[in-house]
Amino acid sequence: MSLLKPFSKLPGLNTANILLVENEEQFQQKLADTVVLQEKTVNVNVRLARSLPLPMENEESRPRIDLVVFIIHLTSELSFQSAETSLKYLDPGYFQGKVCFLVTNARNVSVPPERLVSVRKLAASLHCPLLCAEDQTTEGVTTAAHRLLAILKVAAGLVPMATGLYLSTLTRCTVPSDIDQQNFE
Amino acid sequence: MDDSTKRLLQRLMRRIPSQMLQTILDKWAHLSREDLHSLDFTQPKWVLTEHLLALCEENGLRVKHITELEMIYIIENPNQGMWHGFQLLDAEEDAPSIELTQFKEQFKANLTELISHVSIKIKKHTDEAIWIRVAWGDNFTKPYHLKPTYVVHHLQTPYVFVTGVTSKHKPLLNQALVLATRYSSMKDAHLSGRNLTAIRDLLMRQYQQVFPTKHPKPLQEKNPVPRNPNIEKEQAENTENRLQMACEAFGDGTLPQLQKAVYKLETKFRDNSNKTLTGREEPFRGVVEFASTNLLESLRHCVSSGMASTPVTPLLSSITQKGRNYFVITDKGV
Repeated sequence: MSLLKPFSKLPGLNTANILLVENEEQFQQKLADTVVLQEKTVNVNVRLARSLPLPMENEESRPRIDLVVFIIHLTSELSFQSAETSLKYLDPGYFQGKVCFLVTNARNVSVPPERLVSVRKLAASLHCPLLCAEDQTTEGVTTAAHRLLAILKVAAGLVPMATGLYLSTLTRCTVPSDIDQQNFE
Repeated sequence: MDDSTKRLLQRLMRRIPSQMLQTILDKWAHLSREDLHSLDFTQPKWVLTEHLLALCEENGLRVKHITELEMIYIIENPNQGMWHGFQLLDAEEDAPSIELTQFKEQFKANLTELISHVSIKIKKHTDEAIWIRVAWGDNFTKPYHLKPTYVVHHLQTPYVFVTGVTSKHKPLLNQALVLATRYSSMKDAHLSGRNLTAIRDLLMRQYQQVFPTKHPKPLQEKNPVPRNPNIEKEQAENTENRLQMACEAFGDGTLPQLQKAVYKLETKFRDNSNKTLTGREEPFRGVVEFASTNLLESLRHCVSSGMASTPVTPLLSSITQKGRNYFVITDKGV
């Protein structure tokens, strides 16, 4: 199995690399453009993929990935399933602060609430943060990019006194024990 | 002008949109220059219709002139109503050498032999297509002009496109066409849609096709987006492959606008979890219908974005490869 390993390569100087994984390949392009534009002090490289495992041909040229973001569109069950199957191809070392989940359409009425619950449970079991984003407006994309950059810089070790593991204990998703009985009155 | 002619003209005026009215009346050329100038196109349409009626009465115009006007309008705007494609089979030796006057004579003679009261108008369009308008009557009544049939045929091709024909008149029309074009029979091409140009392009393969190559190079993008060197796609090859396969199956560029694809299933039910329905002798009948404003465009996008699995299933690609959009699927194949 070709696992993606977090520490098998050397880091670059003042560089942070983020991998955006999205089944639909729509939001990741907009997010990538915004992330690269927003960040001026650090050299940010964005890699886009549809799912894991990543092709072997790029193995040599691929830099060390500091943060893997799974973009899940709650309107599609396939999006969630594709993210779940991709998780198997990540080395367990990533789950200490180098993985993040990003969901869209969390406020959409037509989305079954069970899906968000399953994503939350998944994120909580892996100790990863869960971000909600709005992908239709530029402000939504900018906000999401901003938050991802904050997590990315910590995960890449560019923020003094903070590590990914430390940040993830603060930001990781938690699920209240009565979430299955929750109804939003 | 009698009542039915007046009604025909009024109906026609209601159909023609105001922007096109002047050009179409110009093309018609049955009104003199002064008459045309006297029509004020800024008035509301009903006023214009009254004025036009009066002018036609003055000039003694009859039904055949009004039907000519209708034909001009339909030729300019063919993409309305439901068009059906037909294919002529088994050409005889002199079929490729049929030319216009011969076809016209033969068709008119054949059809009037079959039904005595028909009104036929044949016109050749600039793009080599022959347009035929038929208004049907029967042995006792005059032709009914409010529900005409239009036929389009390109000489030397085995394709015919028809709209507005009832099942009663279809065999008569078929016979007249087959005899006039010197083929031995005509079959349904199972292709229908609202857009005549789309159906014609699909049957005659006049859209931009993509052929499989041994050494694929990525399809040139129309407006190459300047690539940011910091952003890189991991699975770019997969994306290109999908796009290539989608275009091979459906074509490149603007695709003919089909609205529907219908698959009639006559296959046995096969699902191991459902014991009551599986294992029955009779086929489980069902109909699957795909509908869209531009079906081929939607299907191509489904394949290139990965929603539909590649390689493209022959069920979908036969829409373009065979030029049909109605399929009956049995257990032995399409």
